[in-house]
Amino acid sequence: MKKLAAILMALMLVLSLCACSASTTDTTTTETATEPETTEATTETTEIPDISLTLWGSELTEFQDALRVMADSFIAEYADEANITIEIGAQSESTAKDTILTDISAAADVFYYADDQTGELVNAGALQPVENADAIAEANGGYEAGGVQAASVGGTLYAYPAMGGNGYFLYYNKEYVTAEQAGSWAGLLEAANAAGKQVTMQLNSGWYLYGFFKGAGFSCSLADDGASTLCDWNTTGGTDVVQAILDITADSGFINLDDAAFVTGVQEGTIIAGVNGSWNAGTIQTAWGDNYATAKLPTYTLNGTEVQMGSFDGYKLVGVNAYSENVGWAMRLAEWLTSEDNQIYLYEATNGSAVPSNVNAAASESVQSNPVVAALATQSQYASAQSLSVGGNYWTPTETLGNILANGNPDGTDLQQLLDETVAGIEAAVG
Amino acid sequence: MNKREHDGKRLFLPVRAVKDWLAGDVFVKLTPLLWGAGYIRRRQFIKGFLAILFECVVVLFSISYGFPNIAKFGTLGTVKRATVYNPATLKNEVNQYDNSFLILLFGLVGLLVLAVAVVILMRIVTEARELQQKDEQGVHINTFREDIRDLFNQKFHITLLSLPSLGIIVFTIIPLIFMILVAFTNYDQQHMAPTELFTWVGLDNFKRLFNNSLSETFGYSFGKVLGWTLVWAFFATFTCYFGGIALSLMINNKRTRVKKLWRTLFVICIAVPQFVSLLLVRNFFADTGIVNTFCSNAGITDFLKSIGLVGQYLDHIPFLTEAGWAKFMIIIINFWIGVPYLMLIATGVLMNIPTEYYESAKIDGANALQTFNRITMPFMLSVTGPYLITSFIANINNFNVIYLLTQDVYFTMDTKLAASNAKDIDLLVTWLYRLTNDYYNYKMASVIGILVFVVCAVFTLVAFNYTFRKGREGRFQ
Amino acid sequence: MKKSKAPVDPALIVKKRHVNPRLLTGDIIRHLILALLAAIWLVPIVWLIATSFSAYEGRNILRFFPESWTLSNYARLFSDTDSVSNFPAWFSNTFIVACFTCVISTLFVLMVAYAMSCMRFRGRRALMNTGVLLGLFPGFLTMICIYYILKELSLTDTHAGLILVYSASSGLGYLIAKGFFDTISRSMIDAAKLDGASEAEVFWKVILPLSKPIIVYTVISAFLMPWMDFIFSNIIIKSRLSGDWTVAVGLYNMLHKSSVNTYFSRFCAGGVLVSIPISVLFVIMQKFYVESVTGGSVKG
Repeated sequence: MKKLAAILMALMLVLSLCACSASTTDTTTTETATEPETTEATTETTEIPDISLTLWGSELTEFQDALRVMADSFIAEYADEANITIEIGAQSESTAKDTILTDISAAADVFYYADDQTGELVNAGALQPVENADAIAEANGGYEAGGVQAASVGGTLYAYPAMGGNGYFLYYNKEYVTAEQAGSWAGLLEAANAAGKQVTMQLNSGWYLYGFFKGAGFSCSLADDGASTLCDWNTTGGTDVVQAILDITADSGFINLDDAAFVTGVQEGTIIAGVNGSWNAGTIQTAWGDNYATAKLPTYTLNGTEVQMGSFDGYKLVGVNAYSENVGWAMRLAEWLTSEDNQIYLYEATNGSAVPSNVNAAASESVQSNPVVAALATQSQYASAQSLSVGGNYWTPTETLGNILANGNPDGTDLQQLLDETVAGIEAAVG
Repeated sequence: MNKREHDGKRLFLPVRAVKDWLAGDVFVKLTPLLWGAGYIRRRQFIKGFLAILFECVVVLFSISYGFPNIAKFGTLGTVKRATVYNPATLKNEVNQYDNSFLILLFGLVGLLVLAVAVVILMRIVTEARELQQKDEQGVHINTFREDIRDLFNQKFHITLLSLPSLGIIVFTIIPLIFMILVAFTNYDQQHMAPTELFTWVGLDNFKRLFNNSLSETFGYSFGKVLGWTLVWAFFATFTCYFGGIALSLMINNKRTRVKKLWRTLFVICIAVPQFVSLLLVRNFFADTGIVNTFCSNAGITDFLKSIGLVGQYLDHIPFLTEAGWAKFMIIIINFWIGVPYLMLIATGVLMNIPTEYYESAKIDGANALQTFNRITMPFMLSVTGPYLITSFIANINNFNVIYLLTQDVYFTMDTKLAASNAKDIDLLVTWLYRLTNDYYNYKMASVIGILVFVVCAVFTLVAFNYTFRKGREGRFQ
Repeated sequence: MKKSKAPVDPALIVKKRHVNPRLLTGDIIRHLILALLAAIWLVPIVWLIATSFSAYEGRNILRFFPESWTLSNYARLFSDTDSVSNFPAWFSNTFIVACFTCVISTLFVLMVAYAMSCMRFRGRRALMNTGVLLGLFPGFLTMICIYYILKELSLTDTHAGLILVYSASSGLGYLIAKGFFDTISRSMIDAAKLDGASEAEVFWKVILPLSKPIIVYTVISAFLMPWMDFIFSNIIIKSRLSGDWTVAVGLYNMLHKSSVNTYFSRFCAGGVLVSIPISVLFVIMQKFYVESVTGGSVKG
């Protein structure tokens, strides 16, 4: 009995020791915070840290190859300060947000993304504010420049402008369409009907549909909460714009196609003109050869007068993940990737698809002579930036409106009611 | 003198445990403090040691993960994440912030662990009392080896079920309870952990389901999507069912040659994985796809336009892009995928129908139709009845067909549906998936998930009652 | 015509030589209909195979059969590995995951089915009802939570994580196996127990050897699951390196709008390559499935 009691007492002691040690461990789950590197700095610098970074960029082969080259040059440049390894993954810029927001801490340290995602990424806390914002802004044309505005929210710069020219303009095949016809939708449709082919634009997308309304003087803007949208499309004259669009879609020479179908149509020869962006320039140029031509967006007929279409400006930006463990190094990498020299390198490596946003790089000879850049430059006076204009709830209702118009308003809904419902959806509070 | 049984029934565990604890000797009383005490006193040393080990684990877990998060369960966190960039160290300095998601998850797990631990403790107490009584009465107490042998005999079910149950608890039950709880929070894109905090909102999300205005359209969308889900499940199940039976009857006909060849040809269609065949078919029927080219060249498109099935503004058939056509095509394509599968099952059943029935019917002078109605169908229905029910419920959740066929190509023309991110051809599950994946609206997705459960549960109950009644009436005679 | 050894009734012989013309036309019509249906059913598959041999990289709109034929799509699937296409790595990833999944899933399913079917214990009904209840919830609801659970265990982006996701809850799919076990006669089990066998011995030595059809069915259906699932692998695998994906995820990503015009024919080639072993396994599985399901329901 005594032995038993002794054993039991011993066990109780062990148990209480267990409990004590447990309560001194961390209570809340926190991120591993700073490990002061100051101690390393004071010791002899034979001890350089190992840094590993992940980089995401477009999956296109030329792009991936170019990224690898730029990453290796970065590693070589800083070899004396750190052992850097950079892993490059393929993530299309247009869907970067989807992959990142599911789990921000598992996303890459540095990533390319399209500027329409800036607002949502900032709201989710995924973007690290740029450290030397003034220098970056200056290199890209100052705080008023489109690219810098596309990367900023509330005056703070959150990303590094990498590529401009992500807006849209008109491609046309000189074999079937003259330059004059390319100036207006009426001319384009005329050319299409004469050649028995079609011209296209993607109407069921808020990105493209915006052009019609902006050209006519309507606008969208961000509400005070920074997430919702204010929109005036359903005020006087809105129905005229809708009617003008319906007139275009009624013509058999017009077809509503999405991006991939547009390229397929060009390659198969069924499309002779279309509104699209710089990312397909290479493919289209290969398909049309010497007949390849670009221009600003055409005008459309509104109540008998010709009105120039507006558009959205588009930029591709490099963001730094705010949850990255090596934020400082990630920012250095981002700055390296978007430096003037590297932007020129990327432009050449991708055969002109990656139009630089850096002011000096964009001013170079080879860039200026690119027909895509010329078209965008002409169109840019009518363009506005997405991040300033539209919030989260803009996209789905406009997609629906565009779809209805592309199908010719099959239910015969009253146009004003259509606009009212769309605007109600756009202006609905987010969340 | 078994106080544990009252009128032949066993008492509820907590009541039993308290009674045993009160009636036990000093070691039983010591057990809640030191879980192995009862075992050790009765010389079951290994069991005692294991019990104490378990107690340590539970205590450790509760103190490090459980209690801190349970404490914050009520608010789901109050300290928002804040970072300061330190240029000297090239890293962000983060405060001790609360991650609402992890608080909810670990709080839930902590509560479950505590609940399980309490139940196990009660079991241990009652066992300790049992052992004490056995000792006093001189009944044999199992050695460890004998206990192990029991685990492979009378208690084999415990051994068998432990690992699978663990898997199910961790990967199904805990996530499920978690998501049900999320339905009562405001976890969506504006409140995404770890950057933002989310908190409880009670029944607000459910109330949104009954709102119907231009900007609050969840109620409207839910009604429409539910309607289509039920219509779709009905058509999908029954078209495939009767189609499969018809096809297998044709192939199984005595005078059909090379039966195996026919069967193999049809089976090839389902052997190709759905994500390949459906994505392929989506391209096949695209607005500018090959079928449309064929139809325009053959004049079918113009014919359909003239009879009004295709809108005047279009010069292609909107197979998968217009609501009416898309619904029709989805059912047809599902028919394409489902019939070979049903054909195989029907073949198996048909081959088992005793031939005497057919022969006696022939002697009685029945023709083909009567044979079908009186013999084949009733037999088929009685054997595959349960399958039909499970198939209907499975079709309510048939994600692949709808998602793969319409995801990037179908855009709705209903502004109210668009405002809640739904589409006319959506099932409840595809809507749920889109809300989770594309819009991070976890709270509404959870609400819909719960409602899917309710719908399926209702149908299951109705169906089982129906078959139960029918079963009693006597089977196929 | 079969030769029969028994004496044949002359009247019957005469009847057999006389071919009924109505039956013959019925036969022809039926065979024609079957041929037509089979052709319709196979049209997309034929298109899949034809496009996989197409020299044109994108989607063919204007023609059903490609203009120029080539084997290069298949060759490039294996030789050209880039950020979008990495078929060898996908195949090996999926194969490894599938092997482990099928072993664990089969074990779990058989264990649960035996416990529910051949043993009687307190709480059996309650557990079965809970299983039914759990099956009524949609599977995708819990995706995000499972992802974070795996993250806490540091298992995201790993083979082990995928294996766990596919096989951990497989015990819930025990119904078919249970149905089969229900048809095994109790007398055999009772005889074995009288001989002194424990439940475990009954399980290993009596039941399992008799259960070949259901074991094959369970193994094959568990093996096939990782090949066909693209939803859960997308959630668990966050890596953007093409070498980390499974076949389903990789092929699905090939059709992303920015790459579909350069990878479509390779997608078709990949689809064909994946379909061949799956079809073979599927056909085998169906034989065993029908055997075990109908055998069970007719007897029981």
